[in-house]
Amino acid sequence: MRRRVVVLGGVILLVLVVVASLAVGSNPIGPVKVWHALVSPDGGETSTIVWDLRVPRTLLGLTVGAALAAAGVLLQALTRNPLAEPRILGISAGASLGVVAAITLFGVGSLTGYVWFGIAGAFGAGLLVTGIAARAGQGNSPVTLALVGAALDASLGAITAGILSVNARTFEEFRYWVVGGLSGRDADIAAQVAPFLLAGLLLAAVVARGLDALSLGDDVARGLGTRVGLVRVGAGLAAVVLTGAGVAAAGPIAFVGLAVPHLARALVGVDQRWVLAVSVLLGPVLLLAADVIGRVVAPPGEVSAGIITALVGAPLLALLVTRAKVVAA
Amino acid sequence: MRVKGRTVAVSAIILVLLVVAFVVALCLGKPYVAPGDVLRSLFGEVTPYDVVVQRLRLPRVVLAVVVGACFGVAGALIQSVARNPLASPDVVGITQGAGLAATIALTSGAAAVVIAPAALGGGLLAAAVVLGLGARHGLAAQRFVLAGVAVAIALRALTEIVMLTAEPIDGQRAHIWLVGTLAGRGWTETSWLAITLLVLLPVLAWAGWALRTSALDDDTAKGLGVRPVARRAGLAAVGVLLAAMVTAQVGAVDFVALVAPQVARRLVRAERPPLIAAALTGSLLVVLADLAGRLLFAPTQLPAGVITAAIGGPYLLFLLVRRKS
Repeated sequence: MRRRVVVLGGVILLVLVVVASLAVGSNPIGPVKVWHALVSPDGGETSTIVWDLRVPRTLLGLTVGAALAAAGVLLQALTRNPLAEPRILGISAGASLGVVAAITLFGVGSLTGYVWFGIAGAFGAGLLVTGIAARAGQGNSPVTLALVGAALDASLGAITAGILSVNARTFEEFRYWVVGGLSGRDADIAAQVAPFLLAGLLLAAVVARGLDALSLGDDVARGLGTRVGLVRVGAGLAAVVLTGAGVAAAGPIAFVGLAVPHLARALVGVDQRWVLAVSVLLGPVLLLAADVIGRVVAPPGEVSAGIITALVGAPLLALLVTRAKVVAA
Repeated sequence: MRVKGRTVAVSAIILVLLVVAFVVALCLGKPYVAPGDVLRSLFGEVTPYDVVVQRLRLPRVVLAVVVGACFGVAGALIQSVARNPLASPDVVGITQGAGLAATIALTSGAAAVVIAPAALGGGLLAAAVVLGLGARHGLAAQRFVLAGVAVAIALRALTEIVMLTAEPIDGQRAHIWLVGTLAGRGWTETSWLAITLLVLLPVLAWAGWALRTSALDDDTAKGLGVRPVARRAGLAAVGVLLAAMVTAQVGAVDFVALVAPQVARRLVRAERPPLIAAALTGSLLVVLADLAGRLLFAPTQLPAGVITAAIGGPYLLFLLVRRKS
């Protein structure tokens, strides 16, 4: 019952932020007018703003928010680490580096091309962070893994920054992409990354039950008939695809994958399928809300959604780290 | 109080390397100037290269030396106080706090003299926040470092917002300032930092002594009439002051404060990073980073901060791997 109420509440919130995302901006449009523009576009100013600017942006927020939140759920379950998240583990930085390398070194010019490089970069960073953390002292400590991820994030970020400073043109083109945000994207971006996100989400849904078993420890999971290796590979693959595609579409957006799964667990308990479902609802809520806040907080300019989520997420990270209950050292 | 022979020897070797790097940095670039001509120009003879050597390259290289020394000492002090090699000012958010405050000052049209004090205030405030977060589990814990990383991320996000809300020209200026480049900077910044270092020299001499004796545990120290908490606060404050001052002048040259003291400590084989060796190592690091940034993709220049971050990130990984509990 409680879970159904939570899902219903999530849906209502999602509808509200979608309406806000269509209505709010440097040129505010009332909800009724938004509705008219949506159902009967007349080519006027209002319907152009709604259809050409705000609808693509909102769709992108929906897909990327869901992808990052789901990636966070997967990574937290996979590493049994409440601090795991694409940005904190350096996986987003790997995806960014992949995309920037695709543009500057390989001359890739289409989003579908970026996505593959983003996924490859995320995959490489994922391997690196787990490999290095395994060798680090106190390798099983959540804090160590997160610190290794932060160091990897800094290293890969420096390389990305270096490539961008050498290629001034790429920098201009990708200044906004680099900080992570939803604005100024072409209308078809959401459509182009949707297949990847859908594939990732499907895979996540398939392995969710296995992740529940995994949370009891490998031996118990095996006893329950779970194929531990397969679940791990599936969850890791899904997380990498979701992060890579999400970053390729909107740049590295931090902390959606940290905050949302924690909130979801607080609301519906530890059943991974429910956590995943609620996270897929609340991820877009958080990202779109951040985007809407970013539009109004600094007129006439806009603050990227990624900056707002960082501002919300970083204190949460500090809080989780300093509270012994959440993270055993 | 005895300074170990190894410390002196290592410091002397780094100093020689620094002098070599200094001259090399004056030689290389376009046009190439032969070392002999560089030395002649430096020692007052009139050569055809005076403009290149004295006007273009010298100010920048001297600035690199001073910047590196400040970061090296700041890192050594804060790492020693926290007894944690990862607790350097650029990892736990102190330089980011200084950067945020300086950005606010820079973009709000405040006079240039306000920027340094603002950076100092921001750095101290960030240090207070991070220390508050670390208080529960102790400063030696990795938790403290990760909480500091979170603070650094939040402060950087705030800095981005400040830059975006500023007038475009101010924002652009702040952006260029913040990447941590030595290009187009020179004597003005150097003199600010040199004055800071000179004023702090007696304090630093005291710090060197205090660090050597703080190897003693707190009870022994108290028995000798030393107040350990006050002393640690004082040492940390000096570190924050240096980190904030240098950030106010050249922006974020990331990870020098992390790497230099640790490299120096390993070379000297001491328990705590030695101040003078850390300063020299920092200078060497920044001189080389700036030189690499100038030459690698010439004519495009990479900011020194990008090079030091590319070195420092992997070094941080190395420290994490090496640090078995």
